[in-house]
Amino acid sequence: MTDAVAAVAGFKKTQVRVERFARTLRLWMTAGPGLFWIILFLLIPSGTLLGIAFLTNSDFGSPVLPLSLGSFSQVAGYGILGWSGANFTTLLRSLLQAGVATIMTILLAYPLVFFIITRPANLRPILLLFAILPSWTNQVVRTYAWMELLSPHAPLARLAQDLGIIPPHLGLMPGNFAVLVGLTYNYLPYMVVPLYAAAEKLDWTLVEAGRDLYASGAKLFFNTVFPQTLPGLLSGIILVGIPAFGDYVVPQLLGGDRAMMLGSLIAGQFTFSPDWPYGAALTLIMLAFTCAGLIVFRRLTQKLGGGEEAML
Amino acid sequence: MSAIPRRIQRGLLGISLPVYLLLYTPLLIIAVFSFTPSLGHPGMNVAAYGEMLNDPQVMAALRRSLTLALSSAVLGTLLGTLMGFGLSRYRPAKGGGFWVGTLPSLIIYLPIIMPSLVFGISEMIFFNFVHQYTGLLSAGLLTMGIAHVTFQAPYVALVVYARLAGLDPNLFEASHDLYANPFKSFVYLTIPVVRPALIGGFLLAITLSIDDFTISFFTAGPGSVTLPIYIYGAIARKGSSPEINAIGTLMIATVVGVALLYYFVSRHRERSNRIPAVA
Repeated sequence: MTDAVAAVAGFKKTQVRVERFARTLRLWMTAGPGLFWIILFLLIPSGTLLGIAFLTNSDFGSPVLPLSLGSFSQVAGYGILGWSGANFTTLLRSLLQAGVATIMTILLAYPLVFFIITRPANLRPILLLFAILPSWTNQVVRTYAWMELLSPHAPLARLAQDLGIIPPHLGLMPGNFAVLVGLTYNYLPYMVVPLYAAAEKLDWTLVEAGRDLYASGAKLFFNTVFPQTLPGLLSGIILVGIPAFGDYVVPQLLGGDRAMMLGSLIAGQFTFSPDWPYGAALTLIMLAFTCAGLIVFRRLTQKLGGGEEAML
Repeated sequence: MSAIPRRIQRGLLGISLPVYLLLYTPLLIIAVFSFTPSLGHPGMNVAAYGEMLNDPQVMAALRRSLTLALSSAVLGTLLGTLMGFGLSRYRPAKGGGFWVGTLPSLIIYLPIIMPSLVFGISEMIFFNFVHQYTGLLSAGLLTMGIAHVTFQAPYVALVVYARLAGLDPNLFEASHDLYANPFKSFVYLTIPVVRPALIGGFLLAITLSIDDFTISFFTAGPGSVTLPIYIYGAIARKGSSPEINAIGTLMIATVVGVALLYYFVSRHRERSNRIPAVA
């Protein structure tokens, strides 16, 4: 009797094991090729790039042995001519531009999103579509459009010239201001979409309750509306801040030398004046800041208990 | 929605209209400058468009862009759909440990969160090394395509996964009980269910490919100048010109047109699906 029970239990256990094995096999058969593709064509290449940071630069800009940390002292600003703070300035400028651009997108996205969700339900999707449509055009075209708009002969620059903000015959670009405008324009939809997703599920009874308790204005907003949109806001900050920090096209086209950001500095080490180890070390810095930002905001989101049911 | 007082609603409108204006002014400026060299210049003409159509470099770049977008989107959608399907269907609901649970998600999110500059330069160096040691994969449309598939597949996987996540797992049990093997239930159950996600994912993959500049720029070779790379080079060489404005206008018009078409077709279908369900 007990033998039979044990046999059945053993059989069941084997069956479970076989099923689990079949399941894992199917997982690797379906998800495997795509995962393998990403590992081969992105994980290994980026690992290689980071490895190059610890090599030495040859005369031709290609990396050679021996291993060294020379590229990192270059990053810290030590060169043949002694120490220079240029890299720190560039890093600070990138952080600042990304930060201010993120704040700008928040300030523009909140009214826009609340305008959309207070429209009739059948109008909302098309209004949202119109808010994100420009971001589907090519980034070079979008940025080039701002070059046209901020150039000396365009009305915007003429107005600034007349107001005495900039000297006559000069445009509003290239410069830090143009880069900020370009970044804000480029990444605004990335703030609008997660904010909209959060605001659409907003529980308005809390707002009513707040009003019944005689809260109004800013107090009402920050106590009832803001906490409910916070998960969306945090996703938006990640989606805007990280790519803005590492952006290449906008500072390249709208920035010029005095508005250089980390992206252009890195790209320069792989194109015009090759120094791969130095470029790779700079890349490592960029990735470190990216990861730090991601981890901080992910922790915050988890603390708030953001819903991620449909997330992988 | 009555929770928002009229005064604030007016304020929202007052800020939102300028924001919409801000979103479209740059695009409109390009279109205007494609017909006239400067504002207030007398006379509009379509000379720039003729110039564009007769420029063999532009036409070749356009052909390359379309070839790249379509072929990479096919492979990207295939790999992405399989990933989204496999992970939603065969991964244990809770946990699954590091190798089965966490690692696949990390790998899929890698191309999405990696700054595109780092993405592009990594691949450039990798292809460079591979070419140096094996003679394969010289920089060109092929290497660009490989890079594009790498960022398209994860997005498609997310779209397909989101679609399947809302699905009752009992449906698969039912098909299993009715003696469908995994292949049959994939063809007769999964494909019809994920079809909207499949079409959406494919269009997304095309948009991502056409939209990209940075990754293309670093993986391109001398013979694989696509439209965005051509525009970038032309801006760097000679600044703005009516011809660039004409190309830009056509690119904007195409994206806007396709997006609106997709929006209205999908809404129409949604509506015609809904009526019998109500009746």
